[in-house]
Amino acid sequence: MSIRAKTHGLLLAAATMGALGAQTPGVSFERDVKPVLEARCLKCHGVKMQLGKLDLRTRESAVAGGAHGPALVPGDAQASRLYRHVAGLEKPLMPMGGKLAASEVAVLRDWLAQGAPWSGALAEVEARKEPEPEDRTIAPEARQWWSFRPLRRQEPPKNGDAQWDAHPVDAFLFAKWREQGLRHAPEADRGTLVRRAYLDLTGLPPPPEQVREFLADRAPDAWERLIDRLLATPQYGERWGRHWLDVARYADSNGYEHDFDRPNAWRYRDYVIEAFNRDTPYDVLLREQIAGDEMEPASNARLIATGFLRNYAKVGFREKDNPQFRFDYLDDMIATLGRGVLGLTVQCARCHDHKFDPIPQRDYYALQASLWGYVEVDHPLAPKPEADAYAAAMAAVEAKLKPLREELQMLEAPYARQVREKKYRAWPKHIQEAVFTPEEKRTPGQVLLANQIIRTTGASPSEMEPLMTPADLAARRALAARIAVLDKQRPAPIPVAMGITDGDYRFTPDGAGDEPAPGKGVQREAVEGAFLCDGTRPYEAPPSYFLHHGDMDSRGRPMRPGFVQVATYSEMPVEMPPPHHRTSGRRTALANWLVARDNPLTARVMVNRIWHHHFGRGIVATLDNFGKTGEPPTHPELLDWLSRRFLDDGWSMKRMHKLLMSSRAYRLASGFSDPENEQRDAANLFGWRFRAQRLEAEVVRDAILAVAGSLNPAMGGPPVFPPLPEETLKSMDKGIWRRQPDGPETWRRSVYVYRKRGLPFPFFEVFDLPDQNITCGRRNVSTVPTQALTLLHNEFVIAQAGRLAARVMAEAGPSPEAQLERAYWLALGRPPEAGERAAGLSFLASQPLAGLTHVLLNLNEFVYLR
Amino acid sequence: MAFTDRRRFLFEAGGGLSGVALACLLSERGLLAADDASVCANTPADGSPFLPKQPHFAPRAKAVISLFMSGGVSHMDTFDPKPALERYAGQPLPVKGEVVVRQGHPGPLMPSPFSFQRHGQSGLPVSELFPCVGAHADELAVIRSVVGRSNDHVMAHYELASGTVRMGAPSVGSWVTYGLGSENQNLPAFVVVYDARGGPFGGPSNWSAGYMPAAFQGTVFRASGDPILDLRPPPSLGEEQMRARLRLLETLNRRDSERNPANSELAARISSYELAYRMQRCAPQAVALENESPAVKKLYGLDNPVTGRFGRQCLMARRLVERGVRFVQLYHGGLGNQNTDTWDAHGNVKENHTQHAAEVDVPMAGLLTDLRARGLLDETLVVWQSEFGRMPISQRGLGRDHNPGAMSIWMAGARIRGGQTIGASDEFGYKAEQQIVTVHDLHATILHLLGMDHTRLTYAYQGRRMRLTDVYGEVIPQIAAA
Repeated sequence: MSIRAKTHGLLLAAATMGALGAQTPGVSFERDVKPVLEARCLKCHGVKMQLGKLDLRTRESAVAGGAHGPALVPGDAQASRLYRHVAGLEKPLMPMGGKLAASEVAVLRDWLAQGAPWSGALAEVEARKEPEPEDRTIAPEARQWWSFRPLRRQEPPKNGDAQWDAHPVDAFLFAKWREQGLRHAPEADRGTLVRRAYLDLTGLPPPPEQVREFLADRAPDAWERLIDRLLATPQYGERWGRHWLDVARYADSNGYEHDFDRPNAWRYRDYVIEAFNRDTPYDVLLREQIAGDEMEPASNARLIATGFLRNYAKVGFREKDNPQFRFDYLDDMIATLGRGVLGLTVQCARCHDHKFDPIPQRDYYALQASLWGYVEVDHPLAPKPEADAYAAAMAAVEAKLKPLREELQMLEAPYARQVREKKYRAWPKHIQEAVFTPEEKRTPGQVLLANQIIRTTGASPSEMEPLMTPADLAARRALAARIAVLDKQRPAPIPVAMGITDGDYRFTPDGAGDEPAPGKGVQREAVEGAFLCDGTRPYEAPPSYFLHHGDMDSRGRPMRPGFVQVATYSEMPVEMPPPHHRTSGRRTALANWLVARDNPLTARVMVNRIWHHHFGRGIVATLDNFGKTGEPPTHPELLDWLSRRFLDDGWSMKRMHKLLMSSRAYRLASGFSDPENEQRDAANLFGWRFRAQRLEAEVVRDAILAVAGSLNPAMGGPPVFPPLPEETLKSMDKGIWRRQPDGPETWRRSVYVYRKRGLPFPFFEVFDLPDQNITCGRRNVSTVPTQALTLLHNEFVIAQAGRLAARVMAEAGPSPEAQLERAYWLALGRPPEAGERAAGLSFLASQPLAGLTHVLLNLNEFVYLR
Repeated sequence: MAFTDRRRFLFEAGGGLSGVALACLLSERGLLAADDASVCANTPADGSPFLPKQPHFAPRAKAVISLFMSGGVSHMDTFDPKPALERYAGQPLPVKGEVVVRQGHPGPLMPSPFSFQRHGQSGLPVSELFPCVGAHADELAVIRSVVGRSNDHVMAHYELASGTVRMGAPSVGSWVTYGLGSENQNLPAFVVVYDARGGPFGGPSNWSAGYMPAAFQGTVFRASGDPILDLRPPPSLGEEQMRARLRLLETLNRRDSERNPANSELAARISSYELAYRMQRCAPQAVALENESPAVKKLYGLDNPVTGRFGRQCLMARRLVERGVRFVQLYHGGLGNQNTDTWDAHGNVKENHTQHAAEVDVPMAGLLTDLRARGLLDETLVVWQSEFGRMPISQRGLGRDHNPGAMSIWMAGARIRGGQTIGASDEFGYKAEQQIVTVHDLHATILHLLGMDHTRLTYAYQGRRMRLTDVYGEVIPQIAAA
């Protein structure tokens, strides 16, 4: 009995024993089976589509089966996938989104057991009236949702209050307060304001001298000048660039098993910081990040910017033979563009039409087609002649190496054979037998075993050399020496940017860190093609398809690039090929659509982000979700007014900061309370007082470094690795964490600390660092005991408290009064009040100054922006 | 949740906290002066993000201890005997289609190098690798038909941890903590203790809170020394110095709160220092294994260098559960050297599994015995799992490659009927065949035993009510039946 038959015998026995129900006598195909198949199966496995490549219209096609094997094994229900999936023996349960009645399952089982008699071809009952999913459009009324409507032209309300009508933002807010019966807070004191502005715009507390200067500056435009000055500091980009890096899910490592280092990822981080510092208009920022490689003239910055799309966490397997991962990377890009730029959860439409928002699945796959051509490339950051020269020099060395390597291999071959034979003889008997049995006489099992052993047994030079004749040994060493010399002749590498461009992923060269598919060689549909297009013929993107249920084996029609329909108000090209024809121009078209003046979402979403970071809560609280499941805007008119203003100001973010911060609303006190307000709007949705905000993880660390006088202001460049406890390093799976001493080299701003996907920096993690693998606009804020433990006991904090004490001592001299005064100014930007002075001096009478500074770093006031 | 601004929900929930509590505690007769026992027995009423919450229905278990064998345990060599492997040894695996292995190419069928014995009244077969766990056969429900979605270590770890192979989703422990809070506010609710040789595949992402607030992530307890990072001040700072600092901090923060009465977060933050202080006192006590009797230490194998390492982890787990910690995640197998320090038996399944089973058998049996003796087993769910099973075919004659198509997992405690097997893999153990159990099903079952309906435990994120089980998951009926 063959194993196969044996297996079936057992299975049948198991089925009989399993008491799966009594036999249905006399099942009729026409009467019992056909209606079930036609009504419940053919919708997805019939004429319109064959999900899983399965067609159930004829017996032949059912027996032939689909991607997962035959659906029907006549005479054997247990082996028939048709039965297994409807009976729940295998997942997913079929039919999708429903369940057959027990009697129907029994009918199918008995019919299969009876040999599955069949007559004729089946036809799907109930013709579908809906358009096919690939063609699905949206209803006109879908555009009625507030965020899909065009930006309204809006004039600020006239409240008849000169003070509050002067600034448009104030006019809008004031009108709401009046409408809601809310009293607004008074203006915060100037000391609070200068600290607020510093922390908000630069992420650093103000130096005492700057506070004093501002307090002394009674000119009417002192506040505006302060804002201008802070917007012009490079620390602004480090602070606000970090907000965007959250959206861009930026990290310095791959994630997943190997968590490989991304040695050039930091260039993208620096690009973002610099772009914010230059006030690169937001539309340009988006164009560069989405299609920088297609823009003219080419520039390093634009190539680096394309790293935005490549910031996804990446599995180490090559996409060309593991296409499933590519779909996940694209999903991540679509999620990032959707939530990050459009404020829409487009990624929900991967498997079905969006459940809440008017986003048909078609839109998802249109976006996917717009991005589909992308391939990962390391753009050389050198003028073309230099890059070409580098490539040529590398090729020349390779050309010289090739014959030498071949010669070496020839020479080594007989010795390698000897070494391997010796190794074979060290295996247990059954393995030796398999290996030494002549190939044609091996049993099928021995073929497999021998194959495994032979393929994985190698011979190293140190194993071969002792066996060599003196002449061969000398020849081998001479060859090896020549190879070593040539190896050193490779040109010095030129810097590269981690980015993307268009190409054909199916021909990706094998790169470092790539692994072939588990147990597979390269699998691809196309036999001919090239990784990158040289422009001699126009680039053509590889085909992409609509995927039913998001299943890569359930292809629908090929997809054309396109956009989210509900946010499209004019006919726009979906492809704008550049003159060099090396790319498709689909991403350029996508970027153009995103930043089109009639796109209702892009400006609103970005203005709202900026508002959120200034005021602590967005006009729309759900920054990444402007859809029906998001929060409604508290001030829709204001949002529209600001969005128009943003467009009219040429998408300038710095102008937006200036506009928002120059409002009176921004300057309100945060400590104000009013019993009636608490009744009407306890959550302060209408901004009647300023919202105090816990500093973000990076700002807590940067503020500690800054007040201690430790902060190394160097900008940009490769990331730094502050020390980690040994125990934490042990929890790390793979990848890198370089050992750098705790000192000025690592006392850089937190935006430069290595972002390792597999190991978030503990200090940041404890202060609510968001998951680094998904786009994030709004961070969580929690208050947990481990934060207190960190600020109380962490060696870094204690050391910096000591440095702050030393600084105070040096700047204030020996008098405790002067020390207390200076410590307060440095840490909090103000003098101590009488009660604080008394408590502090009494403390200093018995305790060291470093104790006082340590306490200051732990104060609520220190870790809150208010 | 009823909070207008969800991300700031934690302490505001308690509301109306004042600085009075800490001030009192810091007084001469208060917390600072109290002994450990009275500090740790006293659970503060509010201020913690982990206040106990009501389950959906009466729970069978209050806590979970998850024993995760990192690297991939071979089911055919442990809890799923396959006599057919003897009969067809050396022949190819008779299946249609491609046999996908993780490394290289498929080999021929390989019998288990281990014999199986029937144990207990149930006669549950357990391999000779686990004589001591085998003695608990009548307490184990072995699920032989669990399937995973990835044959990659890390992605498979993530799936078991969070239900998805992708990074960024909250782990089971986070969901449980989110759903139920903790019985003890002086300790973290979700504790992870990994192998002293190193963390599991995939590292800290295994206990990440994903898109939930970071408060719900697992807290790593180290197996020796201070259990929590930064739990105690460095030795250079004396006790009296720290007290003086805490007193000044409290005074200054209280003055600040008086100036800013509107901001309840400030009170919450003051309260978090009190909790931190309690944790500092209570966490070392919770893992003070030296307080255990010699008999208990021996029960867990602490007297033996082979079993001592995992024994310490298991004993810590019992002490933590005893103190009301909700979810304890243990890992055996650490990434010092993947082939020798984890269950990843590519090279030689006999050597690898003999070594690793010997390290965990006594401690796990000791844990079950001890939980039973203390009356804790009925309210504690113990889950033994790995990221995938292994192949019935050999890798280079002696090893076995990864196989997510079938794995065996057992559960004990929580009044689960022991001595039963659930589901079945095929004749060779290549694929799960009868009553296929997905990871979503496992998660649904764990939540069920804790009194939660997996379809109702949701967290609003990005416009969706997210679930641990996505849109899938069915409770395993044999486990649910008490």
